Amino acid sequence: MSQQRFTFPQWTNLALPAMAIVGATAPLYVAIVVAYGFSPDTLDVGHMPEQPIPFSHKLHAGELGIDCRYCHNTVEYTQHAAIPPTETCMNCHAQIHPQSEKLEPLFESYETGMPIEWVRVHDLPQYAYFNHSAHVNRGVSCVECHGRVDTMEVVYQHETLSMGWCLSCHRNPEPHVRDPKLITQLEWGIDMSEEDRKIEGEHWLDVNHLNPSQDCSTCHR
Amino acid sequence: MKLIKQIIDDLLTPMLEDFWKVPLWIRWALVVVTCAATIPLAVIYRARHSVNEKPRIHIIQNMDNQPKSVAQDGSEWFNDGRIMRPKIEGTVARGDMAGDTHFFMGIEHDEWATTFPTTVSVDKAFVERGQDRFNIYCTPCHGATGYGDGLIHVRAMTLVETGANGTSWVAPKNLHESLIKEQPVGQLFNTITNGVRTMAAYASQIPTEDRWAIVAYIKALQFSQDADPELVDGSASFPQKNTQGGDE
Ligand code: HEC
Ligand code: HEC
Ligand code: HEC
Ligand code: HEC
Ligand code: HEC
Ligand code: HEC
Repeated sequence: MSQQRFTFPQWTNLALPAMAIVGATAPLYVAIVVAYGFSPDTLDVGHMPEQPIPFSHKLHAGELGIDCRYCHNTVEYTQHAAIPPTETCMNCHAQIHPQSEKLEPLFESYETGMPIEWVRVHDLPQYAYFNHSAHVNRGVSCVECHGRVDTMEVVYQHETLSMGWCLSCHRNPEPHVRDPKLITQLEWGIDMSEEDRKIEGEHWLDVNHLNPSQDCSTCHR
Repeated sequence: MKLIKQIIDDLLTPMLEDFWKVPLWIRWALVVVTCAATIPLAVIYRARHSVNEKPRIHIIQNMDNQPKSVAQDGSEWFNDGRIMRPKIEGTVARGDMAGDTHFFMGIEHDEWATTFPTTVSVDKAFVERGQDRFNIYCTPCHGATGYGDGLIHVRAMTLVETGANGTSWVAPKNLHESLIKEQPVGQLFNTITNGVRTMAAYASQIPTEDRWAIVAYIKALQFSQDADPELVDGSASFPQKNTQGGDE
């Protein structure tokens, strides 16, 4: 019994309450990090890749008031909203800023006939089916899904594009539909009260007999 | 109150005393771990409130990207790297056969057609369609009323003045000029389809029928700007017609 025995110092009594606290907060912490960290709100929204030409929607669609369909001219006819070919830019830029350094890749593309390699901003998983013409012709404006593109210097992803987001509108389309003639007027309706907007939406749902489908096969075909 | 005091006295105070006896390095470790735990939260907060130029973080791939190609995609199959194949010279795509020269070229018996092709019916809906299309494709330069005073024209004129990057600009024509008013519909159609001098061709942007609709609207617009006021009810109280606007 001469050997000195090791005794835990008194402060180790704290181990138990400490473990209780860690045990209670750690799962909560992990849950928060996973729920917020891996949500498309964090990972996808705000994606703004650098483009080969510093093309500004704020200038062209906002200040100069060019309609979205002047460039994205297939949006009313097809699933895909075409990124404009070089020729569309050259309608104006053959004369405007013909020596601009920023437009160098445009003129190169025009001479060689090779397309400009714009970087995709929005990208749905390929097992999901989305169709622009189905929305645009029925009075869902670009702004509902892309935000105020006409105020963006560089376009970025404004919405999550998750299935929950698609469904939130398909289930409750009233505040999101409008006169199909006004789909490219992005600023339309921002000064409306929520109720007025809803009444307007209900009107157009009624006029165009809209009833967005929630069947899986609508979007997974 | 009493209970709280008791809890503090009997439980928390001894715990606090114990805590100060914990070796310093453990206490420091606790501080560091706690601080470190806020870093992910801060990163998440920042990611949610800013834009990011880097590629997306994409951990679970599912079948998000499949070895298929979609419109305007790139492709390793072809030397030029694009999946959408350009037209092969000497071929005609389905629906592109310009057999009906009246409809596709605005030419009738080797002259500009003076009437609309029979394949379109010129009615109110058609003219309204034309207005819609005109406002998209023509107003930037020719202006909403066709006087040649669109926003692009206005901006281009200021650029010409400052000489920015060698900008030169030929003013878009005022569509109410008598020379243009006298043009047969076939010639107007041809102007949109193939362009004219410095104005680019719009055939690739506007489907054929819509081009005819625009022609119909231009005719309506020209008529409206030069109409006999007697034709309109209450015209005596109207403001005077704007004959300015746009350069020659
Ligand atoms: C002068 C031509 C032009 C006009 C007008 C225009 N765009 Fe674009 N748009 C482009 C080009 C070029 C790109 C590709 C480069 C980029 O992403 O910035 C693009 C990209 C986009 C994208 C991102 C596409 C992707 O990669 O996911 C969206 C969304 C978009 N435009 C919406 C709009 C909307 C909405 C309007 C009308 C307010 C509009 N655009 C008007 C030329 C135009
Ligand atoms: C309808 C006419 C029009 C079309 C079509 C158009 N632009 Fe422009 N763009 C302009 C005008 C006008 C300006 C000049 C604005 C200024 O400098 O004040 C401009 C300016 C620019 C600039 C800035 C140039 C500089 O040196 O400051 C870039 C870059 C540009 N455009 C890219 C594009 C691209 C890419 C396209 C095709 C997708 C395109 N534009 C299509 C009218 C047009
Ligand atoms: C109902 C929502 C919705 C509306 C309304 C909408 N978009 Fe989109 N847009 C999307 C989604 C989702 C994608 C991604 C598609 C993909 O990755 O296949 C997209 C992609 C795009 C692209 C990239 C090319 C493509 O098709 O993948 C452009 C350009 C674009 N949109 C422009 C527009 C314009 C211009 C309008 C208005 C006229 C518009 N969009 C209206 C949801 C919408
Ligand atoms: C802002 C509202 C809104 C959002 C967001 C939205 N949709 Fe829709 N969607 C509609 C409306 C309205 C219709 C038209 C329903 C009708 O015709 O009865 C529609 C129709 C469709 C159709 C065509 C159905 C048919 O019968 O032709 C498909 C496919 C579709 N949506 C897929 C999607 C996908 C995928 C997304 C998410 C990326 C999405 N939608 C997001 C409003 C929306
Ligand atoms: C309005 C369109 C729409 C409808 C209706 C719809 N989906 Fe989806 N779904 C989507 C989109 C868009 C995605 C891709 C979301 C993303 O970006 O991860 C998706 C993703 C999914 C995924 C993969 C999720 C993942 O991340 O692993 C499953 C599984 C799925 N859907 C099942 C269903 C089932 C089952 C139904 C019917 C009850 C259904 N969906 C109805 C649009 C839709
Ligand atoms: C990018 C600017 C621009 C746009 C957009 C544009 N034009 Fe023009 N247009 C011009 C210019 C510049 C001229 C004068 C050409 C010249 O004299 O060199 C012109 C001339 C004309 C003329 C007179 C042709 C002649 O015989 O003298 C007509 C008619 C015309 N445009 C119709 C249209 C129609 C219809 C549209 C819409 C589909 C349109 N333009 C869109 C720039 C434009």
